[in-house]
Amino acid sequence: MAKQTQNRYLVDYGEPVGIIAAQSVGEPGTQMILRSFHLAGIESTVATSGLPRIIELVDAKKKPTTPITYIYLESGVNKNFEKATELLKKINEVRMNHIAKRVLENFSKGKIKVVLDKQELDSEGLTQKYVASKIEKELDLEAKIEDNGIVVNMHTRNLKEIRAATISLMKMLVSGVDGAGKGTIRRDDATKEFYLVSAGSNIEGIMAVDGVDKTRTTTNDVFAVYRLFGIEAASKALAIELKKTLKEQKISVDDRHLNLLADAMTASGTIKGVGRHGLSGEKKSVFARAAYEETLKHLIHAAAFGEVDRMKGVTENILIGKQIPIGTGSVKLAVKKEDMAKIKPKSDK
Amino acid sequence: MMMQTEVIENIKFGILSPETARSISVVKLSVPDTYNEDGYPIEGGLLDQKMGVIDPGLLCKTCGARAKSCPGHFGRIELVRPAIHSEFSKVIYMILQSTCRNCHRLLLNDEHIAEYRNVLAKLEEDSVDIVESSGEEEAVAMGSAAMLKKLKNMKKCERCGTLKGKLKFSAPTYFYVDDYKLKPDEIRDLLAKISNDDLQVLGIDARASRPEWLIISVLLVPPVNVRPSITLESGERSEDDLTHKLVDIMRINLRLEQNLNAGAPQIIIDDLWELLQYHITTYFNNETASIPPARHRSGRALKTLAQRLKGKEGRFRYNLSGKRVNYSARTVISVDPNVDLDEVGVPFAIASKLTVPFYVTAWNIEKARELLTRSEYPMVTNVISKDGKRKRVIDLNREELIKELAVGDILERQLMDGDITLFNRQPSLHRVSIMSHKAKVLSGKTFRMNYCVTAPYNADFDGDEMNLHVPQNLEAQAEAKYLMSPQYQIFSPRDGDAIITNNEDGITGMYLLTKDDNYLTKEQAVYILSIAGVYELPKANKNGLYSGKEVFSALIPEGMNFSCRSGGAPFVIKNGRLVEGVVTKDTYGRGNNKLLVKLGKDYGYDRLKKFLFVSSKVADAYVTLMGVTVGVKEYTTSKKLEDERVRLLQETFVKINKLIDDYKARKLEPLLGYTLRESLERMIIAELNLVRDRAGETLLKYESSENSAVEMARSGSRGSILNIEQMTMFLGQQATLSGGRIRRGYYTNRVLPHIVPGDIRPGARGFVATCYYSGLAPTDLFMHAVGSRGSEVYKALLTARSGYLYRRLSNALQDYSVDSDFSVRDANNNMAQVVYGGDMVNPIYTQFMDLEEEEEKG
Repeated sequence: MAKQTQNRYLVDYGEPVGIIAAQSVGEPGTQMILRSFHLAGIESTVATSGLPRIIELVDAKKKPTTPITYIYLESGVNKNFEKATELLKKINEVRMNHIAKRVLENFSKGKIKVVLDKQELDSEGLTQKYVASKIEKELDLEAKIEDNGIVVNMHTRNLKEIRAATISLMKMLVSGVDGAGKGTIRRDDATKEFYLVSAGSNIEGIMAVDGVDKTRTTTNDVFAVYRLFGIEAASKALAIELKKTLKEQKISVDDRHLNLLADAMTASGTIKGVGRHGLSGEKKSVFARAAYEETLKHLIHAAAFGEVDRMKGVTENILIGKQIPIGTGSVKLAVKKEDMAKIKPKSDK
Repeated sequence: MMMQTEVIENIKFGILSPETARSISVVKLSVPDTYNEDGYPIEGGLLDQKMGVIDPGLLCKTCGARAKSCPGHFGRIELVRPAIHSEFSKVIYMILQSTCRNCHRLLLNDEHIAEYRNVLAKLEEDSVDIVESSGEEEAVAMGSAAMLKKLKNMKKCERCGTLKGKLKFSAPTYFYVDDYKLKPDEIRDLLAKISNDDLQVLGIDARASRPEWLIISVLLVPPVNVRPSITLESGERSEDDLTHKLVDIMRINLRLEQNLNAGAPQIIIDDLWELLQYHITTYFNNETASIPPARHRSGRALKTLAQRLKGKEGRFRYNLSGKRVNYSARTVISVDPNVDLDEVGVPFAIASKLTVPFYVTAWNIEKARELLTRSEYPMVTNVISKDGKRKRVIDLNREELIKELAVGDILERQLMDGDITLFNRQPSLHRVSIMSHKAKVLSGKTFRMNYCVTAPYNADFDGDEMNLHVPQNLEAQAEAKYLMSPQYQIFSPRDGDAIITNNEDGITGMYLLTKDDNYLTKEQAVYILSIAGVYELPKANKNGLYSGKEVFSALIPEGMNFSCRSGGAPFVIKNGRLVEGVVTKDTYGRGNNKLLVKLGKDYGYDRLKKFLFVSSKVADAYVTLMGVTVGVKEYTTSKKLEDERVRLLQETFVKINKLIDDYKARKLEPLLGYTLRESLERMIIAELNLVRDRAGETLLKYESSENSAVEMARSGSRGSILNIEQMTMFLGQQATLSGGRIRRGYYTNRVLPHIVPGDIRPGARGFVATCYYSGLAPTDLFMHAVGSRGSEVYKALLTARSGYLYRRLSNALQDYSVDSDFSVRDANNNMAQVVYGGDMVNPIYTQFMDLEEEEEKG
């Protein structure tokens, strides 16, 4: 900050910022919605939002229910609709089963015939010839264009082999980036620039495409960010996602709370959830773990291995009825007991 | 003086050895029964009086104390054959897997062990450098996890070369080696031969827990006060579940012993042994997987040791994390605008029961004597003498107590005006769910509170109950007073917004008062200002009237300068006078509280609290004076309004029909990034939203300020234009939870049977064109119910889900606090943030800072 922050606005020593952060995120939970909405433009994709999204984030789920990547374009491309569309076609993940209209397996002749959907082909800017050559290149099969479709000659009548080939054929990536998902084009009303939204999170692959602005392209997949950019970036991404989700619900929570939550989740070097398999389950204190969830498991382990509870946390001290070591409980009065005894009232007049 | 007690610094867990069990128990139990025919506890039975007593009249045979002061003593059952503690089976399995059954050492040779010890030592030393550990213990756990995995997969002993063989564990208590079933005593012998050093490598502290102790040969029996029996009304005795289980164990133990002595065949011995094992397993945990739970005669599963500890109603969460307290009260709450924000009206009946400690010192002993002499209301109810003895004050012993009164005694005095109390409403979701209020003893039977503080508690007065606690020492009282008082909690740490503000009538009144061209007569002005405690009249205008804005100005600090937006127009205070603008929700409602921020920042919390209190009282008085009320009149549809409604809807329907026609003719231009169908849907919804807004505008145009519902909506105090619109014009689009229009119902793509399949016009998809006043058509009522039902169902789901989220969050973050170097650390000093929030700023002050910045810019 440019300006020197005034002392009176700083946090106090011992302030239980963790609890305050938890309350700030937890209390408005009931005001959030429990629904998902359709991600406009991408068929059958539903964006997770509201409470389920928050839960997913703090649970440190490995893959978001609906991964989304916001792909921004470099300056030469971002104002030009044609070029942006071109780029979308490069990225948009198209697999064989997306463009195949009909698949016919001829086991007696050992052939697989695929009839492609003309409309889908056109919209993706593909041709039958290209698809056929792709099959030959990727799957090392013999593919020919015959009357109205592509015929793959397997040169075998082995039922298992043909079926396996059909399956891999259907899964084959025809064009686009692997794992990028289906995409659509959007326009930012403020800056008048075009950008892409895709329902996948392979940012590594997407960023490798020419014309993609690597500095602005983001994803809602926190683990993808972690893998590509490391833990600090993951912490930021987590905080940003939390913030975005809360903002969508018109709930205002100070960034500091969300940052603390994200930092606590990432402090160990990996992303850890807040539940019994994450932060709460890995606490040092036996009592803190036992009082939370899986009481028996923790007590049994402690007994068998001879663990020691050092009574440093909040829960442990509540259990035994001692003052908690946080806030006003973290300071002590430094007066010797002997000195206390010396304090006497002035003798009566 | 407070009693100096020992402080628990740490707690070590471990297993009791059979020797320890014998030495701490006071009696060896031998009779598998409770009472004899005379109803007297059998000696050597499960309720032997050596283990303590529960009847208040009897004396404990071990310590000689009565039931109240006897802590209870353990007994023991000597098992003739040992049994496995099933909860530890997994640990036993781990140890058996890691050790050699021939040489009884770890499967690894010394070299490998040394290697692992080095790794562990290194991990312990510089835990930060090695991968992703945050503490030494975690690092050790990681190192040993790798080692355990290796040990598990080893086939033979590196020392003596003996093959491990196929070791199988079958839950809950069976172990096999190459299909030979190991008996508990055999396992015990194996475990006993493992050295302490080897165990240490496995992470086990052998001083606290030798693995052979995991096999039980002496079963410790808890004292009777842990498992009290109750006497039913019929005089019949009913035993605790644990006692029942212990009887079972003893019975089988006795039978096994008899059979062993009689030299019974092995198969019978094994069966009984198995049964003993079953009873012991269920005694510890009656929900052990893969065995049937032990049941009561009635068929109810017994609640044994594990069930006492586990879950929400278990010992940990029910009795230890949450405790019951004394010095507390609970009753219904109601409003009283004359009770200050930091006060709470306490019914006399409660005030005379609750007490506050009065510490007798050399300085106040006179005052103490005076208090003690009183025999009515603010009187002393108990005297606690220096040695901790509590005596109830009654007329008979008052004189004596006054004579005995000495420095160091504590008097328990009835609650009086001004005493610090804690006021709380559940669920306590954030810190302002419990605040300190000064007691104000009133007649009546409810707690009275100011309506400005309802928001933090999320309270209303439709029957809500709240709790009151009285802090019992000076330190607690001081903390409550200086940290938890409402004036210090006006701004929320969540986002710096005010949570304690004026609301409802408090805003309506101020809005009406400060409206342009609103003048008060001298009488009115005097009345209003006297309520605020202002006894100087502002300047009257030439007609001898007082403007509402001048009256408002009397409530704010002198010389204050401030401006913001309010109700879409500027709101300007110059030199302590409101010169322009009307008070609305934008001036001090939630979310828009610049006026409050200004007051708090420049004039302090006490002044701000005073402003809130005084202005709410003034507003109430003014509302009363003006007679603001709401009736059917406010929500009546006029002819004009009805015509407007028809016209607006007609226009919209025509537009939408055109959109649909265009769509069918494929002439519709799709929105960017949307399919044609999606585009159409979005356009239709946009049209419907537009007509809703236009209806609102029309309403505002036709309704005068005579309509108090509209006035309330304008001021933002209660209700919105949309609410009135729904009552007088039309209900509008009923949304489903997925956000779109209602479309599901019949598989033929229609919501109701009398809609043409495929119809996507507004009426067929949940648009209600009628209003509450004129009544809903049956189909419209149905559409309306779709929305209502959905939201009701979801609300129930949501509370459960968000409650659990909150529990997990607070559990994960509760130990984090700010250290003296502004870093954020948990209980074990692990750092989460180097500098709190990056700038050390307390979020509660963010709005102060924003305003400061704004003012500096000018």
